[in-house]
Amino acid sequence: MPRKFPNYLLFAAGVALLLGGLKLAGWLPMLAQQDLLRQYNTVEDVKAELGIREIYVPSYFPQNLSWPPSAVLAQGKPFPALIMEFGQVERPSAGLVISQSLSDTFRSDGKIRFEDLKEKVRYPLKGRDSTLEVGTGAGGGPCARISWKEGIYHMTVTARSTPFELIKVAESMLR
Amino acid sequence: MNLSHFFSSLPGLYATQAFFHSLVAGAVVEIAIVSFRIASPFVRQRLLLIAIVFPVFSFPLYQLADPARGSVYFRMGALFDSSRLINTEFPEPVPLGLGLLLIFLVSTIVFLAQELIPILRHTFASRKSGPPVEVVEDGDPAVREALEALPVDKPETHILEDEDPVIFSSTGKKPSIFLSSGLLKTLSVGELQAALAHEIAHIIRSRRPFLLPVFFLRIAMFFNPFVLVEFRRSVQEDEKICDEMAASFTKKPLELAGALRKLYLGAGPSPDARPGKSVKTADRIEEYSHRLNIEGRISRLEGGPATDPGGEWHVFLLTLGVVIVINYFVV
Repeated sequence: MPRKFPNYLLFAAGVALLLGGLKLAGWLPMLAQQDLLRQYNTVEDVKAELGIREIYVPSYFPQNLSWPPSAVLAQGKPFPALIMEFGQVERPSAGLVISQSLSDTFRSDGKIRFEDLKEKVRYPLKGRDSTLEVGTGAGGGPCARISWKEGIYHMTVTARSTPFELIKVAESMLR
Repeated sequence: MNLSHFFSSLPGLYATQAFFHSLVAGAVVEIAIVSFRIASPFVRQRLLLIAIVFPVFSFPLYQLADPARGSVYFRMGALFDSSRLINTEFPEPVPLGLGLLLIFLVSTIVFLAQELIPILRHTFASRKSGPPVEVVEDGDPAVREALEALPVDKPETHILEDEDPVIFSSTGKKPSIFLSSGLLKTLSVGELQAALAHEIAHIIRSRRPFLLPVFFLRIAMFFNPFVLVEFRRSVQEDEKICDEMAASFTKKPLELAGALRKLYLGAGPSPDARPGKSVKTADRIEEYSHRLNIEGRISRLEGGPATDPGGEWHVFLLTLGVVIVINYFVV
């Protein structure tokens, strides 16, 4: 006698219940603790709610990117961290992602991914020792990332652009 | 070392995700067992294997398949993000991650004290002292009579001078069954035959050892309480498999049920567990769960052979598929 439809239905119901339980277990901490990683409307909201005083924002901004940030993600615990995401004017995808974090384990990759990393070199960024990565992103377009330590923060700037444009953005963040 | 550093390091990520992956895998396996009314211990053991082995490999394989799985973007969209739970301070300023570390620590102690150290001690002790001293070899007429009717290769039997009813088998190149003189006085010939058939089933299964490689994988999960529980359940299923094999050799499942009742339940609680003596709660729980397990085996044997509707591989693959998909979104 083969397995019957009600067996599968019961299995599906059990799995659905488990999925609901997992979703709830993932959501409850957000309710209990306000300073876990979540989305904010503006950088000012992050400053006000998490008390992150020093936020590095570029003063040079390429014309193909839209201002203000299309998404701001931040957390206060377990360590302060912030991600600013800027959309492209003519495309719906993100063109620039700026991440600043107290820990180097904070991973902001994922929005702009390298398909092919061609070069990784050390680069002097206004006297800071930085790492510059150059390659191509999705669709074969240029993609670059630069990361360095700024005071207590680990900074990473990733863009769908040439390294020259990226360096200009990164330098404009520093005094 | 900062707690958040540990949980965002590779060992920390591995341990945390293995913990939650085994929890999810165990839940899905349980749902499958209940939904499809899996009664066969063979199939149940195969399903339990998913919850034991899968978490050993899940984290590295997922990361290999999608390196961006660890990024904050993936975590934000995931079904369950363990880092949120770990970093929640409850009560403030103690993060729940500290509780998880304690769970890892307790599981490690239990694994060492109840599994690894006893196994190592037993291995070294048996190498040093050799097999137990026997008084009669193949000489007892009841043993000869009981073995004669069994339709399988007969192993060597050794009778030990001991008033306690004891039976166990040794595997390897020269498999043997050891039974005590006390056991011969306790069991009828039919029950003795059933007990011998059960040990022969263990010897037959040891030729293609299933639980040994699983145990070696399970060692990698020494910190994981869910794997500890599922492995023990798997061992209990192994006993049920041997019960079924013994019943098929003798065609008398009720004799085996009778033997189990006399050997494990007849005497009531062990002398140490009697009221008036101070017994640790852990020992009481162990005694109670042991009795429950034996009673379960007896009721299985008395209830007749389990009838599974078939399609076990289908259920296994479906369960494994669901475990793989759900756990991909559990980070």
